[in-house]
Amino acid sequence: MKMLWQLITANVKDMMRDRMSMFWFLAFPIVFILLFGAVFSGNGADQSYSIGLAVEDKGPVGSGIRKAFESVPSFELHQGSKETELAALKQGKRILVVEVPGKVQATIATGKPAEISIYYDPGRAATAQALISAAREILSEVERRATGAPRLFIAKPIKVEVKQLKNIDYLLPGILAMALMQLGLFGALGFVSLRERKIIRRLGATPVPKSLVLWSEILVRLAMAVVQAVSIVLIGHLAYGVTVVGNWPAVLGLVLLGALVFISLGYFLISFTKTSESAQGLIQLVQFPMMFLSGIFFPIEIMPRFLKPVIRAIPLSYLGDALRNVMVGLPTAFGIWTDVAILGGWLLVTAILAVRLFRWE
Amino acid sequence: MDSITVSDLRKYYGQVKAVDGLSFSVPQGEIFGMLGPNGAGKTTTVETIVGLIGRDGGDVAVMGIDPAQDPVGVKARIGVQLQTAAMFPRLAVREVIRLYASFYPKNVDEDEVIALVGLQEKANVQTRNLSGGQLQRLSVALAIVSDGDIIFLDEPTTGLDPQARRGLWDVINRMRGRGKTIFLTTHYMDEAEKLCDRVAVVDRGKIIALDSPQALINENFQEKAIEFNQPALTADRNLSGLPGVTMVQVEDDLIILYSSEVPKTIAALMEYSQKAGATVDDLTVRTATLEDVFLKLTGRRIRE
Repeated sequence: MKMLWQLITANVKDMMRDRMSMFWFLAFPIVFILLFGAVFSGNGADQSYSIGLAVEDKGPVGSGIRKAFESVPSFELHQGSKETELAALKQGKRILVVEVPGKVQATIATGKPAEISIYYDPGRAATAQALISAAREILSEVERRATGAPRLFIAKPIKVEVKQLKNIDYLLPGILAMALMQLGLFGALGFVSLRERKIIRRLGATPVPKSLVLWSEILVRLAMAVVQAVSIVLIGHLAYGVTVVGNWPAVLGLVLLGALVFISLGYFLISFTKTSESAQGLIQLVQFPMMFLSGIFFPIEIMPRFLKPVIRAIPLSYLGDALRNVMVGLPTAFGIWTDVAILGGWLLVTAILAVRLFRWE
Repeated sequence: MDSITVSDLRKYYGQVKAVDGLSFSVPQGEIFGMLGPNGAGKTTTVETIVGLIGRDGGDVAVMGIDPAQDPVGVKARIGVQLQTAAMFPRLAVREVIRLYASFYPKNVDEDEVIALVGLQEKANVQTRNLSGGQLQRLSVALAIVSDGDIIFLDEPTTGLDPQARRGLWDVINRMRGRGKTIFLTTHYMDEAEKLCDRVAVVDRGKIIALDSPQALINENFQEKAIEFNQPALTADRNLSGLPGVTMVQVEDDLIILYSSEVPKTIAALMEYSQKAGATVDDLTVRTATLEDVFLKLTGRRIRE
C-alpha cells in the first residue's frame, strides 16, 4: 500500500508539474466547449432560411407568389433578377432560388401548367428537400386561391412546450467523451517515456512489482477522468446553462467505464511501438478518425451510408451516444444497454490483448 | 557466509556468449571490482546476479538466496545502481529518493543519503535540471537508500570529472565502513586499483584473472614499463633482444618495453635507435599497472 501510494504521489506530482499536458487534459476540453459553444450558439428553433426569389412575371400571378413567400416568417427572402440570385446560390448564400419566368401569365392563359423552376444546392440536400416541399405547398396554395378549388384538409400547427435542446446539449457529452478518449490514449505516452528512458527497467531492480506502476497510472487517470467530467459539466452549466438530467451515479459509471476503455486501448496501442515518437504517431492515427467518425460533433444520421459500419465499430460512438442519453436526455441511437455492452466488450478485448502483448522494456 | 557466490554463470544472446562461465565469490564487507572493456559482460553479470534478467546456466546465491527462485527476496536485501541514470523528470531529488525508499523493507534516512552523495544543495531541484554528474550521484543515492546488505554499482563513475569520482570513492568507502559489501564494475584502471579489495579482470564473458590489484600486478610484472613514440620502430623485432627487455607491446605508434633492468635497457635503446636512424627523443618510465596486466593477458588495451 505504501508503495502504491508513493507511486501515485510521484505520478501526480510529475504530471501536475508538466504544464503542457495539464493544458491538454484540463484546459483544452474547456476551450473546445467555449469555442464550439460560441460557433453553434444559434438555437435550432429560431433558424431562418435564406431563399432567393426571382419574379419576372409582372402580372397578378407573379405578385401573388411573391406575397405568399413574403408571408412565411422563417424565410429570409432575397428578391432580385434570376442571374443575381443564382450567383448568390453558387456562392452558398442561398439554399433555394425560386424562379417565376415572365411568360407564366401567358402560359396559364393557354390552359397549360406553367413551369416554375426551383434551384437548390445539392450540398445541403436535406434542408433543401424540406424547403422544396414547403415551396411546393406555397405554390399550390396560390394555385388553389386562383382556381377557387375547395379545401379538404386544414393543417393546424399546435405548440407543445418541450425542453429546448440546443446544439451545445448535443456537443457537451461528445466533448466529454472526446476528453476521456484523449486522456486514456495520450495518457499511455507517459508509460512509453518511462519505458524509453529505462526508468521501468530501473524499477525492475527494486522489489516493487512492475504492475504496481501501471495500477498507479490507471488510478490517477481515473481520478483525472472524474475531474475532467466535473469541470466539463460545470463549464457547460455556467456558460451555456446545460443541465444534467440523468442520475449522477449513472454518469459517473459511464465516465469511469469510458476512461477504462480508452486507457486499455492506449496500453494496447503502445505495445506496438518502441519510441515516444512512434507511439504518438500511432495514437494520433487512431484517435483522429475516431474523433470525426463517432458522431460526437454531428449526428450519426447525417453521415454517409458507407461510413456507417466504421461508425458502428468505434467505441467512441457508443460512449458519446450513452453520455448524450444519460447527461442531457437525448434519445440513444443504439440503446443504452447496447452502448454499455459494446464498451464493456472493447474493454475486455483490449485489456486481454494489452496484457498479452505488453512490453515492459 | 559469502555475500555472493557465483559458479559457472552463463548468459547467451543468440550466438553471443555475453557471460561465458564465470565463477567467483565475494565475502561480506569486501569491495569487489569487475574490470573490463565495454562489452566484456560486466553489466550482464550484474543484471543476472540482481535478478533483473534470467541466466542460461550456472548457480547464483545472493545472501544465500537464488535470484532466479526468489527475485523479490534478493531485490529487497540489496541496493542497485544501473547505468540508466534517468529518473522521473519532474520529481525533485528528495522526492525520487523518498519514492525509492518506500520500495524497501528498511531504508536509510533520506537526509543522510542526500548528505552522503553530497546533493544537499540540489535536494529540491527537479531531476531534469540536474547535470550528468549530479544525476550519477542521485543514481548511487538510490542504490544506498535501500540499506541493503550488498550494494551493486554498475560503472558508477562513468562520465564524472576527477573530483566527482574521488567524491564517489569516498561514498563507497564509507558504505564499506558500515559493513556493506560492494560489487562494482568499471573500465577505469585507477578506480579498480585504488578502490577495490579484489578485482576480477573480465574479457569476452570470461574471468582472465582474479586477485587483489597489487597481487595481479606482482604476479604479472616484476618489470617496469618504458614507453616512447617512434613510428619507425613499431615493426622492429630487434627491440625484444635489447638487454633487460622481457616483453614488447606495440599500440599504434606507442611502444612499451617491459624491462627488469631499466638503466641498461635505456642505454641500449638510445644506441640502437641512433644506429637505426630513428632517434627516441622522449620516453617515460613507470611501474606496471592493471592496464599493463590487461594488455599482457589480452593483447589489447581496456579502452579502445
